[in-house]
Amino acid sequence: MRKSLIKIRGLRKSFSQSSGCLTAIENVQLDIYEKEFVCILGPSGCGKSTLLNILARLDSQYEGSVEVGGAPLEETKLRMAYVFQEPRLLPWLTLKQNLHFVTDSLKIDKESIDTRIGSNLALVGLKGFENSYPYQLSGGMQQRAAIARALCIDPEILLMDEPFSGLDEITARSLRKELTRIWQETGKAVVFVTHNWYEASYLADRILVMKDRPGHIIKEVPVLIDRPRSYEDPRVFEFSSLLVKDFLSLIGGEESTEENMPREVANS
Amino acid sequence: MIKWLSTLNDKMPNRLKSMLLFLGLWWFLSLFMSPNVLPSPLATVTAFLNNDASEVLFHVRMTMQRIGMGFFFAMLLGLVLGTMMGVSRVLETWLDMWVMIVLSTPGLVFVVLSFIWFGMNEFATVVAISIASFPSIAINVWQGVKAVDGKLIDMAKVFGISPRMRLKKVILPQIYPYFMASARACLGISWKLTALVELLGRSNGVGYQLNYWFQLYEMDQVIAWTGLFLIIVLSIELFIMNPLEKRLFAWRPEVRI
Repeated sequence: MRKSLIKIRGLRKSFSQSSGCLTAIENVQLDIYEKEFVCILGPSGCGKSTLLNILARLDSQYEGSVEVGGAPLEETKLRMAYVFQEPRLLPWLTLKQNLHFVTDSLKIDKESIDTRIGSNLALVGLKGFENSYPYQLSGGMQQRAAIARALCIDPEILLMDEPFSGLDEITARSLRKELTRIWQETGKAVVFVTHNWYEASYLADRILVMKDRPGHIIKEVPVLIDRPRSYEDPRVFEFSSLLVKDFLSLIGGEESTEENMPREVANS
Repeated sequence: MIKWLSTLNDKMPNRLKSMLLFLGLWWFLSLFMSPNVLPSPLATVTAFLNNDASEVLFHVRMTMQRIGMGFFFAMLLGLVLGTMMGVSRVLETWLDMWVMIVLSTPGLVFVVLSFIWFGMNEFATVVAISIASFPSIAINVWQGVKAVDGKLIDMAKVFGISPRMRLKKVILPQIYPYFMASARACLGISWKLTALVELLGRSNGVGYQLNYWFQLYEMDQVIAWTGLFLIIVLSIELFIMNPLEKRLFAWRPEVRI
């Protein structure tokens, strides 16, 4: 039996607005196990980022139970790191200082922090850029740095919110490949939010598909393609096409979701 | 000769060039005018050097003291009010109108009121300078606080960074540029106002000297004291503000427009 890291039951989140109450997500149940790569997939506005923000403790107003590592979310001892859609590096600090910013509050000695920062920058291919400022790097490199920052607090769980959607396709592709390599090397649990069906099919062990109004999980599918996967693998392509078709038939309409399909599928 | 001139041209900083050009123009114009209207640069410097050095120093010290005190309290008031207005919408709507009113009221009004209420003394002087110069700081800091990027704060929260470190490493660096801009503006206003206060109601300081020599119609002294003031202000800019700015903003890319 695998160890469960995250256990969510009956999660509900609503925002009060001037026009009344808007329910962002309702009745969400999910389990995430250790060393697992889970994608939360769905069109824009389906509440996937809301879900991730609750997990990241950015949003503490919710109903339902969220347990992380066997304890309620607020009291968990497990470390969670976050990679945002944008790099969110501090522009006034060098890469090394940016990593120090998150590690210096950890209770570990200075020397091992230094080694850890060095090895994580090397892991994402940024060796030699320790003293560069973020503006001196390309968007892809900045996002690599953000991944290194997340890894260097040695988290048990890595939360990622569409981390590659702001990058060009070629860069995104190489980062996806690297992410799977890093994930396999480090063995963290990854919760990866995306609206890109192909990306999810390529990355995930398991995909949770969400639908909006109110946001909930309508389908849970394991991806049984063996690793290491190639990004051009026809099985990945086939899997994502089936997933999209399935989603469309589930919500019962073809017209509204065309824009949410990855380009590779839309063009075929 | 021409080659020597062109290498000199390359080596000299532009600021120095423009300064020399200005001195040349001044000298040239003074040739056509009575020394009572525009004395030559040399005559001005000579007249100034005839003053007693310790007396000059005394007046400069008094003026600097007033600017310093006024600047300090203006910064304090401006920082507190600006931060309050940036953080809270309620306080913003309570205060913004008053900051605007003080900003657009002529400094002279505060000088006169302060003298009437507190008497012609140092306290009244500092009050007038601080009140008249704080709005520019409050406005800048207010805008700076409002422009703080909440996304970076969220990032720090997610990584479990303490509120103290969030303030130091995430929030303050975002406000520094606004703070520097406001410090500059405030310094400009407070020294202008100090000169005015000294002219109206003090018996020492650079402003007082300006008025004194103006009454005697000694143009060379008037210009000399003005020049002294300019040199002091320029030194503050070059030796305090500029290096501070370079240190604080070393991380910024150079802007090319």
